Amino acid sequence: MTTRTRETTRLKPHWSSIFENGTGARLYPYLMVMPAILIAIGVVVYPVLSGITSAFHDVTLRTLNSGDMPFIGLRNFERVFADPNFVLASLNTLVWVVLNVVAQLGFGLALALLLHRIVPGIGFFRSGILVPWVVPSVVAVLTWRWMYDPSVGIVNEILVRLGVIDAYHPWLGDTATALYAVTVESIWKGTPFVMLLLLAALQLVPKSILEAASMDGASGWRKLWHVILPQIRVSFAIAAVLTFILTVNNFNAIWLMTEGGPLNSSEILFTLAYKYGFQRFDLGMASAVATMLFVGLVIATTLYLKLIQAKEAD
Amino acid sequence: MASTRSSAPLKRTRTPKAVRLGLLYVGLWAAFIWCVFPFYWMIATSLRAKDEIFARPPSILPHSITFQNYVDLLIGAEFWRFAMNSLILTISVTAISVLLAVTAGYAMARHKFKGSVMLPLFMLYGQMFPPVLLLIPFYIQLRFLGWLDSLYGLIPVYLSYMLPLCVWLMRGFFAQVPHSLEDAARLDGCTRWQAFWRVILPMARPGIVAVATWVMIHTWNEFLYASTFILSDKNRTLPLGLSGLIGQYTTDWGMLMAGGVITAAPILLVFFFLQKHLVSGVGGGAVKG
Repeated sequence: MTTRTRETTRLKPHWSSIFENGTGARLYPYLMVMPAILIAIGVVVYPVLSGITSAFHDVTLRTLNSGDMPFIGLRNFERVFADPNFVLASLNTLVWVVLNVVAQLGFGLALALLLHRIVPGIGFFRSGILVPWVVPSVVAVLTWRWMYDPSVGIVNEILVRLGVIDAYHPWLGDTATALYAVTVESIWKGTPFVMLLLLAALQLVPKSILEAASMDGASGWRKLWHVILPQIRVSFAIAAVLTFILTVNNFNAIWLMTEGGPLNSSEILFTLAYKYGFQRFDLGMASAVATMLFVGLVIATTLYLKLIQAKEAD
Repeated sequence: MASTRSSAPLKRTRTPKAVRLGLLYVGLWAAFIWCVFPFYWMIATSLRAKDEIFARPPSILPHSITFQNYVDLLIGAEFWRFAMNSLILTISVTAISVLLAVTAGYAMARHKFKGSVMLPLFMLYGQMFPPVLLLIPFYIQLRFLGWLDSLYGLIPVYLSYMLPLCVWLMRGFFAQVPHSLEDAARLDGCTRWQAFWRVILPMARPGIVAVATWVMIHTWNEFLYASTFILSDKNRTLPLGLSGLIGQYTTDWGMLMAGGVITAAPILLVFFFLQKHLVSGVGGGAVKG
């Protein structure tokens, strides 16, 4: 194999040998990076910039058709702030994000600690618990919608049999419960990924530290609080930021279960922007909401990158 | 005093150990049932006859098993068209992203050049952009180009979502391949290109498999962009076709759940075979960088 390679290159210069010396060698990395960069500029940089720009222009179906989209300054933002649904959607987004992040991190950590123990059958439990992560989002959401069915849903039946409620309840159809019912699905779907990240971190905690803590007589809780958590804190923070980003960007769960209803009770900023854009066809207002979300996510992303760098420095 | 001290630690470690193990299994089973039950419920519903699906109260175990829902679904031409659309899209997007990510990821991991530090970060930012911000400019652009409601119009849209993370992950994998291998190949007389093609690429194969699988899974599942940019029935992808089965007043839940099982099946199969690569590739890639 090696000898053949040697012969071919010696006898007949390979076409790629122009990259061996001088300008060719300097160009080589650029040539390899260039296609991906050009496409990324075309499909990410340009659209993001033009998305932010549309927030300051009057972009509706009418102006799109005429091709003249006038600059209107902050008018789109003013119109968004004047919409009572925007206030409601902001509050809902807050509830939605806090519940999702807290529950996914809490359950994710609990699951990781459970699954970290090497006991008979652990492989079986580990793969079972990853099921929500693997099932396609649309399929998972539609299944939960079916489970929440107000007349024959299994959620109602189980809760009635357990004595939690005494009559079937329209979970997705009631303004008081719709947002929370969707949140349960989203926690179910998101927790296994958090578990995966934390399990990976737990496996890197040196055994000697844990043993030393046990020898010193540390109880389970104190060991968790004073030994394990400090060891995995960077991974935990990364999981928190990632969960935050994924929750803000989670559209399928709410859209396919309630479309933000009933009476906007489960509207979050993402679905509100979507409605401005593709039901009212006021793309300028939609861009204004999207730009605000974008600023929040850029802050979160920056934090995430800082954390990754901190981890690499460790 | 002395006797209690010698017997107490024995007691404290022996009995609670069995109890703790018991509690551990209770926790494991509770988590397992919570995670798997909805999936079980989808399969169970898909195997029930129509009258049993709407029987009240619902029973946990199906009384009888029928494949009628699957037959109804697979007999219609619609389903096959949706599956074909998803397949075309998945193959194209995967091929393009992997090709571009391999070359770019390699160059970023191996060579110092202007921007070799900034570019990977920029790529990661790309992955975090809220899709709703991209949705609007894409809609305007696709409309302008006349690519709305076109399957091929979705390819650049999906690349915006897939390519940045693919480059980021591939760079991580190439960074793990030892430099010395490449140097040895170069000493043996390989050109840069030959060393890359014959030595580095085969070494990075597990990484390529993980990245390709990641793109495949996400393209196969994508819903938001497809539901916004695809307008006519004939261009629907599988997730869109699935959501289309939800009716305003009545929904054929048996057929819908059968569709869910069929949509999830390829993903589960891929996951089953590539579990190790995927878990370390995606889970590890997210924190290792």
